[in-house]
Amino acid sequence: MLAGLADLGHAYLAILNPASLLFGLGGALTGIIVGCLPGLSATLCIALLTTLTVKLQANDAILILVCSYVGTLYGGSRSAILLNIPGTAANAASCADGHALALRGEAGRAIGIATSGAFSGVLFGVLCLATLTPVLARVALSFGSYEFFWLALFGVTMSGRIVGDDPLKGWLMGLLGLFVAQIGQDGLYAHDRFTFGLEQLSGGIALIPALIGAFGFSEILTTLADPAAGAKVELRDSVLPRFREVVQYWQTSLRSGAVGVLTGLLPGVGEDAGAWMAYGAARLFSREREQFGRGSIDGLMAAETGDMASIPGHLIPCLALGVPGSAPSAVLMAAMIIHGIQPGPMLMIQHHQFIFDVVAMTSLAMCSILVFGLFLVRPLLHVLRVPRSVLMPIIFLLCTIGTYANASRLFDIYTMLAVGIGAFFLRRRGYQMAPFVLGLVLGGLLDKSLRRGLVLSGGSLAPFVTRPISAALALVILLTVLLQVPAVNAALLGLVRRRKVRPGQ
Amino acid sequence: MQDPHRTAPESAGPSPVSTAQADLSPAPTLPADLQEGLGWAALGMAILVMALGMDRLADQGVAPYASPGLVPGLLGAIMLLFGCLLTLRVWRAGRATERTAKGSIQGTGADGPRVAPVRRRADLRPGRLALVIGLCLTFDIVLVGHGLPFWVAASVFVSVSILVLQHPERQAAGRRTDARAVIVAALSGLGAGAIATLVFQRLFLVHLP
Repeated sequence: MLAGLADLGHAYLAILNPASLLFGLGGALTGIIVGCLPGLSATLCIALLTTLTVKLQANDAILILVCSYVGTLYGGSRSAILLNIPGTAANAASCADGHALALRGEAGRAIGIATSGAFSGVLFGVLCLATLTPVLARVALSFGSYEFFWLALFGVTMSGRIVGDDPLKGWLMGLLGLFVAQIGQDGLYAHDRFTFGLEQLSGGIALIPALIGAFGFSEILTTLADPAAGAKVELRDSVLPRFREVVQYWQTSLRSGAVGVLTGLLPGVGEDAGAWMAYGAARLFSREREQFGRGSIDGLMAAETGDMASIPGHLIPCLALGVPGSAPSAVLMAAMIIHGIQPGPMLMIQHHQFIFDVVAMTSLAMCSILVFGLFLVRPLLHVLRVPRSVLMPIIFLLCTIGTYANASRLFDIYTMLAVGIGAFFLRRRGYQMAPFVLGLVLGGLLDKSLRRGLVLSGGSLAPFVTRPISAALALVILLTVLLQVPAVNAALLGLVRRRKVRPGQ
Repeated sequence: MQDPHRTAPESAGPSPVSTAQADLSPAPTLPADLQEGLGWAALGMAILVMALGMDRLADQGVAPYASPGLVPGLLGAIMLLFGCLLTLRVWRAGRATERTAKGSIQGTGADGPRVAPVRRRADLRPGRLALVIGLCLTFDIVLVGHGLPFWVAASVFVSVSILVLQHPERQAAGRRTDARAVIVAALSGLGAGAIATLVFQRLFLVHLP
């Protein structure tokens, strides 16, 4: 306990130097600007910055990425409030109440509430990150191939189930991601799979080009093929949060923070789920329920606290288990690997201090959004006025550079184009990208864990279902899938109803 | 017009629905959905067949349960199953829609089965989409990586894109694409190309194509 606190103190002291502060503030500001612009996601921002910061020291690069992650999600609330277009998917829950307040001439007040909600959400999440990650990482040290196989499958199953509104389509995307991850040399015997004689495919489909394609190029196509009309941006009142309101809604902050972190712990679910779950919970407990969707402070506070708290929540499984909680954290994980830090159970042994460094980085990000959120509001509004037809070609230029910079292969650019065009049409048909990305990230782990586990057990499947954690994960996955079968769902509902009726009879 | 992928839902419920808030209405997209399901099933089948035909490395003493094709084969089989389920679901929804339509004509519609609404494809401007894809592909496949200095390729791409994409907007506003617009687009392109090259190549030492 004391050793942990000492490590945490050391991590805070390590970032308190001008260079780190500059990197952190710069990362957060970049994130806020990107977040402000509808169509540019946190995943794209982190993916582009990963290639930009590849030559920096590992901790400096990860600091910039963490700060940009937090900044992007916070910046997304700006366009949600002022334009009724969420800057990122995670800010969609803030649109209804935030924009309703803006229409009443209270845009500044809404921004203030969003800022205080974001700050309290990250603060709550940071506390959980500092306390839960080392505990989970120690538990994960006992994990073997069997548990990791189920964990990888659990991530894809949960992501497919929760993200989007059609689990079947979500799972198909997860399967597609898992399949794409199998392309190239396999992890055990270096045998070429699905390469069709193409030498470039032997190394597999690289994560960064695929992510830039799925989240960057497809967004550019969406935005440019269907351009938004210019909207008037008005801000008349003060953006400073009112102390009375912050105190009045402390229960909402605490509840939404807990909901956000818990949602973040589920692999591949995404920050938007945290926001919607927190919003739903707030609506359930609120005294001003009828105000939700019409400018409720409670609703806006809950949505912003929930999505921001889920960021540290996503980092917990990412660091402790090597299973990213969301698409942006998947890119962050890839960046850590590029910088020689392998997230997962061995992190506690190999880079023990790094967990506390990430806690300190997230804290700096939290302070940065508070500073920029309160004192840099009006200049940031100019970003919203830049025409898409000017901005998007420049973003595409950055996508090309970002894709090429990592490995200097033209093939990566072609991969980005192919994935981007495919992702654009799939999204139009209601398919989500998060399960695909998670499948892509976890495909290698799933493949190696299953085959290694089978080799260890001599071909027996028994250890996959008899070890306690494996059995629990297998049961959850089975139930998640079976609940989508109408007959099973109806039978279970009937069972629950009968049990409810029986005590009263 | 608002981005169809980024719309806030009108209901304030705790829906985790995120990026695709498309309209839900019984629009006639059944054939497309059916093709989708069949497409997934075909892809799953192709993966399964290729995985089964993959070298099992038996000559290297690799056990069948550790062969490289095991996981892809399983994935292909599940994809095939899910593709068939999607097809079946669409087909059943289509039949139910037909029955409901018949029922309402015969005055028995109220007792007919409840049909889940089918997603309607959001409005799309095919011409503009083709233009955007064409511009991006031309830049990445033709201009980049074939000897042309990157800053030149980038400047040309950004300038032309701005001009071409702003042209319909100008027309809609009753304005012409005059010399001023061309100069502004050219300067924007030159600026973007030069800054990107300088920042990435000189400052961050990133290799450019």
